[in-house]
Amino acid sequence: MRKIRFGIISFAHIHAWSYARVIKELENAELVAIYDDDPQRLKQAAEKYGVKDVYNNYEDLLKRDDIDAVIITSENAKHPPQAISSAEHGKHMIVEKPIAVDLKDADEMVRAANRYNVKFQTAFVMRYHDATSTVKKLLDNKEIGEILVVTTTNHGKYPGLWFGVPELSGGGSMIDHTVHTADLMRWYTGDEVEEVYAVIGKNIRKELSVEDTGLISLKFKRGVIGSIDCSWSRPSTWPIWGDVWLAIFGTEGYIVIDAFRPNIDLVKEGKPLRWEYFGSDADRNMIKDFIRVIEEDATPRATGWDGRQALEITLAAYRSAKSGEVVKLPL
Amino acid sequence: MEKIKTAVIGAGFISRIHLDAWKRLPNVEVKAIVDVEEERAKKYAEMFGIPEFFTDYTKVIEDPEIDIIDVCTPTYTHAKISIDAMKSGKNVLLEKPIALKLRDADEIINTSKKQGVKFMVAHCLRFWPEYTVTKKIVDQGEIGEVRVARAYRLSPYPDWSWKSWLKDFSKSGGVFVDMSIHDVDFLRWIIGEVEEVYARGGVLKTKDATSYDYVHALLKFKNGAIAYVEGSWIQPKNFPFTTYLEIVGTGGALKVDNHTTSSVIVYKEGSCATDSNPISEDAYYLEIKHFVDSVVKDYEPMISGLEARKTLEVVLAGVKSMMENKPVRLPLSGEVIG
Repeated sequence: MRKIRFGIISFAHIHAWSYARVIKELENAELVAIYDDDPQRLKQAAEKYGVKDVYNNYEDLLKRDDIDAVIITSENAKHPPQAISSAEHGKHMIVEKPIAVDLKDADEMVRAANRYNVKFQTAFVMRYHDATSTVKKLLDNKEIGEILVVTTTNHGKYPGLWFGVPELSGGGSMIDHTVHTADLMRWYTGDEVEEVYAVIGKNIRKELSVEDTGLISLKFKRGVIGSIDCSWSRPSTWPIWGDVWLAIFGTEGYIVIDAFRPNIDLVKEGKPLRWEYFGSDADRNMIKDFIRVIEEDATPRATGWDGRQALEITLAAYRSAKSGEVVKLPL
Repeated sequence: MEKIKTAVIGAGFISRIHLDAWKRLPNVEVKAIVDVEEERAKKYAEMFGIPEFFTDYTKVIEDPEIDIIDVCTPTYTHAKISIDAMKSGKNVLLEKPIALKLRDADEIINTSKKQGVKFMVAHCLRFWPEYTVTKKIVDQGEIGEVRVARAYRLSPYPDWSWKSWLKDFSKSGGVFVDMSIHDVDFLRWIIGEVEEVYARGGVLKTKDATSYDYVHALLKFKNGAIAYVEGSWIQPKNFPFTTYLEIVGTGGALKVDNHTTSSVIVYKEGSCATDSNPISEDAYYLEIKHFVDSVVKDYEPMISGLEARKTLEVVLAGVKSMMENKPVRLPLSGEVIG
């Protein structure tokens, strides 16, 4: 069996660590080389995952002929040049969400992947969670009739690191937490968003220069209504990092997804309650499916274009929050 | 001690719940029940041991023995009945919403002041235990200043309403005015005044209705907090009535829903599980007791007409926003319904 040989470009995004863990676990994958612009983080990751080939210049990593695919998990704003260069070097890629912070960049990334004929998968891990994919089947089978409304939340703790630095993140909780459920709504409805209205409230954490609260109301072209609660609203002592929660109202039923609810209550002396997760491993499913896509020359379940479309919804939400008006898409 | 005498007008859904509470108060006698349909009035009279029943409410507001009128009629009749009762010098407990029009609310409020009677609008959430405990937690500053809230209230279509008045937008205002008003009132109570509302929804499922059956609204408060409020009457028929509340402040967060906090769950052959949190001095008991006490002890009841009017204005702003598809700032300049 031929293994798919991976490189990881940056461990700045916390998800990189889980993706590296998955690659190490999978029999048909190999973590060959890693890059990071932070020498200490590079060293830490190399030691943790036993990677010998480390780079402080991603072009050098991409020049190698023995790497099939890369995962780009740098800070949001750094994705575009790295992704475009990866495509130019013929590497298949998974790009962390949001794929960029600017639509023009996202378009160029999509074009580059097409031009150099590489697979471009957006790390919309939620399409690979077994709860959401089970529901996709239920919806496609019209188990609850036609979809009328999709109400969603993607709450989280404040992730810290560079997530509050707008030059790197492109924004706060809204850019961090809108795309997952926006993408699921697009996937479930098979439709595109027509208009968006959003509000940003006063910050929970006063010290942040980006927003940490946000609420979005949206409408799809064929009439489905949606909402997204995209706040970093969970205190640091909350029992789990956050949630991805959806309620789908249909003409003949109602479905709730609480993707990260399967947990064990764990309480240690002197510590707050902690939830130990035992649900579906979406990261593992996503990377396994990416390998399948490469081997079978298939189309990813969540493409670069899907990443671009979800970004557009987020940017429309920012525009609405700023202007106080309903924003029509496309921008 | 002489008993306070009351009459309940309307023999429908909420009146039955109120009567159950009225009957538990030791210092009260329910003297009469009124409904435009004699059968309905008679049925409740028998069920609750009420001595008199009428089809004409003027019979009870003209009865000098009666101290309190509990108005449990459909919303579109609230103004006329309450004003008539007040003009007869009766103290009035009025089911929410206070009215569908702001000028009706104003007239009710003015009449209550002019007549010097006690008047309260039955926004029952202010007596529900999870909400009063939440209020206490927030007021004590345990979660800091409120920044973001989320509340939803989900129900199958309330097809029990008399002559389907809830289905008629001009009579009920739809799900946001009739049901989400609870959450809006509660959020106003703990956060403060609303500055702007954006709402989206429609008649999504109930094709024979003019009432909106699904609405979600984004509220902006004057103090910078934001809130998501959702009301649904499009749940499947067997769906258990569901409420959810989440509040996050600068110092912490709280959440509570009505299903994971039940103390009793009943499973029966062939039907869905039903869960509940039985409390002998429940919200309705406390609400009605509070109003009776305001009459007996002569104090101002906690949910004034003005409070109820402010809440009404927010839900009407939601309806206006939904109809115009743009955010609506408060105060409203005119009527939204009718």
